[in-house]
Amino acid sequence: MSLRVDKLCWGHPVPGGGWRQLFANFDFQSPTSEFTVVIGSNGSGKSTFLNLLAGTLRSGSGSIRLDDQPLQQLPDHRRARRIGRVMQNPLEGTSPGLTIAENLRLAEGRRRNVIGWHGLRGIHPNQADRRRYRELLEQLGLPLADRIDTLVGQLSGGQRQTISLVMATLGHPQLLLLDEHTAALDPKAEAMVMDLTDRLVQQLGTTTLMVTHSLSQALRYGDRLVMLHEGRILGDWNARERQHLTPDVLREMYGAARVRQTN
Amino acid sequence: MTGHNAPMLSLWLGAYDQGLAYASLALGTYLTLRVLNFADLTVDGSFALGGGTAAMLITQGVPIPFALLAALVLGSLAGTVTALIHTKLGVNDLFAGILTTTGLYTITLRVMGRSNIPITDLNPVINLPDFGMGDDGRWALALTVVVLGLIGLIALFLATDFGLALRAIGNNPTMARANAIHQGLGLTIGIAAANALVALSGALVTMYQGFADVTMGIGSLILGLGMVIIGESVLRPASIRKALLAVVVGAILFRLLIAIALQLGLEPVDLKLTTAVLLLVAMSLGHIKLPGVNASALADGPEAAVPPQDEDQSAGTAQSADTAQSAGIAKARGPASSGEQP
Repeated sequence: MSLRVDKLCWGHPVPGGGWRQLFANFDFQSPTSEFTVVIGSNGSGKSTFLNLLAGTLRSGSGSIRLDDQPLQQLPDHRRARRIGRVMQNPLEGTSPGLTIAENLRLAEGRRRNVIGWHGLRGIHPNQADRRRYRELLEQLGLPLADRIDTLVGQLSGGQRQTISLVMATLGHPQLLLLDEHTAALDPKAEAMVMDLTDRLVQQLGTTTLMVTHSLSQALRYGDRLVMLHEGRILGDWNARERQHLTPDVLREMYGAARVRQTN
Repeated sequence: MTGHNAPMLSLWLGAYDQGLAYASLALGTYLTLRVLNFADLTVDGSFALGGGTAAMLITQGVPIPFALLAALVLGSLAGTVTALIHTKLGVNDLFAGILTTTGLYTITLRVMGRSNIPITDLNPVINLPDFGMGDDGRWALALTVVVLGLIGLIALFLATDFGLALRAIGNNPTMARANAIHQGLGLTIGIAAANALVALSGALVTMYQGFADVTMGIGSLILGLGMVIIGESVLRPASIRKALLAVVVGAILFRLLIAIALQLGLEPVDLKLTTAVLLLVAMSLGHIKLPGVNASALADGPEAAVPPQDEDQSAGTAQSADTAQSAGIAKARGPASSGEQP
């Protein structure tokens, strides 16, 4: 088991002095190199789940293990070494005041302890680094290969998200988390980023969780589709089972769950 | 050298020397404010701490290099305290700095033993060649070497992975966190280094002006910021190395403006107000500069022609050059994707 979540509990206070227990003894497993797409209505806990895995939210109890190593006791920066992440907002994943090459360099050094002696060994990104990044971007078929010395702040949202995605896959992450990473993009950029996502995940074989609101993406990408509702798994399909699903069926499931909840 | 232009030359040289003595303060301010994006008010305290320590040690007969080293060490400790208050206790950056500065006032007084220490004898400087310009010439030589060395060291440091990580922390903390950069440690080391530079500046200024005063640090942060902004407005640096050079040029220009004002008959009592007005002008120039930066950034990006209408969700991390992109996002969030929402 590559990713294993056992008895995860997490809740938050609600206005007016109550408590909402979103996850209660939540279990989830994903074998190495499985690409799981997670869907669910607003408030179903899909983004919260990713935040709990990444460590931006700390869980009340339960265990999260990655390749049999517990994640929760690790401080933020050690945990982030093992997890690549692309967020919804293209402005969050990259540093606008640094060049493409500098951003890639930082992502590539994820496993090194750059705040320390390791970070003082030589000037980077040097010629060799920059050649390597150019080749990487060329190999991925990205038109940014000849612009690696451009400040990321000068790129469009789609281009920045592309760089965020490439960064998240650098430095050998054991887990890749994609949190609605195409939601802020126009349809053309969305298609481009999704195509790149699919290729990178196939190529690297990293265990991947992708949260999306797009049912067409959910029915097209990944090895497995999971539907979350109120912190519980409402549906879990492998690629073969998924073929029988349609957007209408999924919408009906959302609706039924919501009705059950109000009754 | 004729009798006529000797005062003029001494004015220039004096301003050059003072500018270089303050350059280290400006470089420290550049590190915290521009690189780390951290408004560090410790600067006011560590400047006086550096000056007071150096004055005390030099009058005790300690060799100047050791006195400067002591100022560097104490300055970095002051910075460390502020950084730890901010990162470990979660106190806002401004308050953390003010807390440390308030405490440092007592510490500086304790170190000095009294509120003002004059230094009369600075013999080591006398061994240097003076190029026929007296003590100011010797100072010019010594300070030029020191400041060029500092620029070289800082430029080298900022070009390493370590420096790159510090720039990322200041530029986008979310990205830094996601890329496994230890932000607490990075901030602490960066702020400690910046305050070491500031304390060194306090020591150099003390030696140049011939005395240390416990109140000499008041307004140092704003002074450093003014020097940074003047340098940036005049030279518009495009790289880190040029920015460091610009900061030093800004410090010299600033001291020159003050020297000219004094030459024109400004009374020393009015100096602080004049300084404040001068800095206000420099800062508003810096403010006016910003749209220019945006315009050039926009000209390069293909999508950037979109006028920045509403900034919506992206406000949190939006940097100045990003407004157009966030507007683009607002646009892209339209009907195209909402049609699929359950």
